[in-house]
Amino acid sequence: MPMKIGEKPFFGRVDDALEKTFMRTAMASAQDRLRGRKLDATVRDEQIGDWEEWRSAGEEIRRHTLENLDYYLNQLSENFSRKGGHVYFADTAEDATRYIQEVAKKKNAKKVTKAKSMVTEEIGLNEALEEIGCQVFETDLAEYILQIDDHDRPSHIVVPSLHKNKEQIRDTFRDKAGYTGTEEPRELTAFARSQLREVFLEADIGITGCNFAVAESGTISLVTNEGNANMVTTYPDTQISVMGMERLVPTWEELDVMVNLLSRSAVGQKITTYVTNLTPQLEENSVDAPKEFHLVILDAGRSNALGTEFQSALHCIRCAACVNVCPVYRHIGGHAYGSIYQGPIGAVLSPILGGYDEYGELPFASSLCAACSEACPVRIPLHEQLIRHRENYVAQKGKMSEKLAMKAFGIGASTPSLFQGAVKGLPAIMKPLVKDDGISSGPGPMKLWTAVREFPVPEKNNFRSWFKSHKQEGES
Amino acid sequence: MEEWMEMKVSLFITCLAEMFYQDVAKDVVEVLERLGCDVDFPRGQICCGQPAYNSGYRKDAQKAARQMIRSFEHSEFIVTPSGSCAAMFKEYPELFKEEPEWRKRAEALANKTYEFTQFIVNVLHIEDVGAVYPASATYHTSCHMIRLLKETDAPFRLLKNVKGLELLPLENSYDCCGFGGTFAVKMAPISEQMVDEKIRHVEASAATLLIAADNGCLMNIKGRIDRKGKPIEVKHIAQILNTRVEGRK
Amino acid sequence: MAEGIVHNKDAFLNRIASKLGRERTEAVVLPKWKHQPQWEVFKNDGADDLLGTFRKSSMAKSALVIQTERANLAATVKEAIEKYGGGLVVTTKDRRFAEYGLESLLADSKTHVWDAGLGKRNIEIAKQANIGVIFSDISLAESGTIVQFNDKDIARSVSLLPVTYIAIVPQSTLVPRMTQATQMVHQAAAEGKDISTCINFISGPSNSADIEMDIVIGVHGPVEAVHIVVADK
Repeated sequence: MPMKIGEKPFFGRVDDALEKTFMRTAMASAQDRLRGRKLDATVRDEQIGDWEEWRSAGEEIRRHTLENLDYYLNQLSENFSRKGGHVYFADTAEDATRYIQEVAKKKNAKKVTKAKSMVTEEIGLNEALEEIGCQVFETDLAEYILQIDDHDRPSHIVVPSLHKNKEQIRDTFRDKAGYTGTEEPRELTAFARSQLREVFLEADIGITGCNFAVAESGTISLVTNEGNANMVTTYPDTQISVMGMERLVPTWEELDVMVNLLSRSAVGQKITTYVTNLTPQLEENSVDAPKEFHLVILDAGRSNALGTEFQSALHCIRCAACVNVCPVYRHIGGHAYGSIYQGPIGAVLSPILGGYDEYGELPFASSLCAACSEACPVRIPLHEQLIRHRENYVAQKGKMSEKLAMKAFGIGASTPSLFQGAVKGLPAIMKPLVKDDGISSGPGPMKLWTAVREFPVPEKNNFRSWFKSHKQEGES
Repeated sequence: MEEWMEMKVSLFITCLAEMFYQDVAKDVVEVLERLGCDVDFPRGQICCGQPAYNSGYRKDAQKAARQMIRSFEHSEFIVTPSGSCAAMFKEYPELFKEEPEWRKRAEALANKTYEFTQFIVNVLHIEDVGAVYPASATYHTSCHMIRLLKETDAPFRLLKNVKGLELLPLENSYDCCGFGGTFAVKMAPISEQMVDEKIRHVEASAATLLIAADNGCLMNIKGRIDRKGKPIEVKHIAQILNTRVEGRK
Repeated sequence: MAEGIVHNKDAFLNRIASKLGRERTEAVVLPKWKHQPQWEVFKNDGADDLLGTFRKSSMAKSALVIQTERANLAATVKEAIEKYGGGLVVTTKDRRFAEYGLESLLADSKTHVWDAGLGKRNIEIAKQANIGVIFSDISLAESGTIVQFNDKDIARSVSLLPVTYIAIVPQSTLVPRMTQATQMVHQAAAEGKDISTCINFISGPSNSADIEMDIVIGVHGPVEAVHIVVADK
């Protein structure tokens, strides 16, 4: 499954990640920089007024759009096709890739350029196109780096190559593409420019994702910095844009709000260098515009969230602000999530799209610190949705031992006499474990605690008795 | 403060404090009394249910919650030395969203619940409790206190007025310490990395004392500090506030 | 032109409606949003304030800003072209060049004016060009952004392929932020007018921070950008 990363089970992936010292240092420092930039462009930017108002605006727009998703998708489709654009509603990833393969075959396409798009990663589009003999060129710098490094997988939804440092990139360029320069980002970037310059102009098909589609005009909006998306959508005769079905806004006025939230939250920019808005208008004899424009609208599990407690997960605009503040992501990086969607939103979204068999552990990989919910520009209650996933997971797949333990907890925590008995009995039970005023190794689940830290020694005295006599003293 | 003005406060001591940190519990009682509160201790209280709730066991958490709602039904104010447990009380209405009767009772409970420092600063309107504690300290903001209770200020106001206490800034203070209840055991390898980074930042602050207002975080951080044998003391904020300047009440 | 082909729409949308627990919605009225902070930004700023903000934000996006009068525009553009290395220049086909007294630029032997009739030859020239000169249709103070409504004459390539783009920014095109620009497009769309096939918001030269979060200017689009603001009122 293309959304999936790696074959190992969750804890194997975590162990692998924790060993990668460089990757972890890179993640932590990238997080600190991204978080700082975001704060400068949001809560600390006085020009835009109260950031909380913007978040509320975003939430309000997203909620309304998702509540009326069928209506706005219909409107989008009508407006997109009115001027000659083709629309394919894809139920599954396979449907989407099959349709795109057919277009490519019909066009006899040899070279395909792509702008950065997580949704095409999700459906495994590159593999599908290579299967029918197309040469696929990733043109976003980060995606280009991954592609020439033997198709390494993305570790971050906004900066997919975040886990690599410049020395590693230099070595990859040298080994795979004959690069002879230094590890300076400027020089590495110039190399990518020179490698792709001609490819852009020769490509038969250009493929993009879609940051937002505008229903009222049938427009695809791309929010980028490098200029590659413009190259991809300007020169090939055929353009294909792939969008998750939830990625649309009713009108241009809402587009404004969403682009502002995205630019500032993702990269700390007031606006990205390019916001490129493409609408089919194919009768016009432009020299530098596609002659054929396809829009693929993808479900692939998204509708599982509709009408459920997870509906607001579809409000996500893929800014990665939650990823950039997540203390778990900070230490394990992106690949350990085993999904191209990582961090808190990945832990919420991946089980919706891919099920609990594959991604059931992810909602537990969170300390529920709520930094994600606080950072989300459209106020998705991410940490609460992680709890909702846990509820579903234990109901479907919970271990009997844990269920019994929690049942016992429920009984103990609602029966004062039992609890008091436990509090009184605790010191005696734990006494054999106490060494030098601490507990350094315990049995059962306690072992997992004491593997890392000391466990506190239970109090011998009873607080309730103390309180009682304390009050009596006060009264006398 | 006049006798008749005495504020009636019900103490929700939390299961962790009752089992492991009675000194903290006693300090909370003594500080509140010194500030003129009449403290009572509803004996039916047990645990807020957060361990079950956060693990996905909603029904079992509801059992704990009902017991707590019944125990504190008659209280005027509920005060607890834990931002996290206070936040769990605030979560009760959501826990009973499908049971209107209990939901109403849950809302009443949530509305009168305060974390310890929050109560002193925002309800009693006291920022100087007359404490003295000469030390170089730093403060760990617990996630649930700052993000769920949205109380970012009260502990700092109180600590600022503690005589002799030098409060040093803590780098990446907003990052979680890695406790997260069952997370600390279920995801032990990740939790370990998080608490280690927290301790590195505490060490970098040059403080010799770490203060926090949540026993869960403290249990985690202190457990790791002790395991590594670091020379850093760890205390709950109540232990700092329950010290006195000579000659003052 | 014929309408495009739409596949699998009804089954897809019916599923969505049923998951949402209702029939397909036939008519939805856009609500009046409770939160609209976008209209407050620079609300009371006059033309000079907007110009000052545009300058600052353009520079923050690594675009050079030059202010000039209409009478001096031709000379200013010429100077800017020389400053950025001269050579082959490509411009859009835009009547404003004449309106702003820039006939000499168009007539220069080293200038190519986009001509859709020449087909792909234009792209070859634009690729060789050192400088592309365009007009901004709407200009955003907040972010130092110029907006282009591209079509067969106002070609996309002019601001994309040359090493440097020079945008002429009539001061009257300045608005506070993206809000005012999208409102104009929204109004056109709501009136059933066709909107441009490519509405491009451009803020300075292309760039990337994909390698260790270090910002590098000049990736696949232009490496340099110049915004020439011309007083036109």
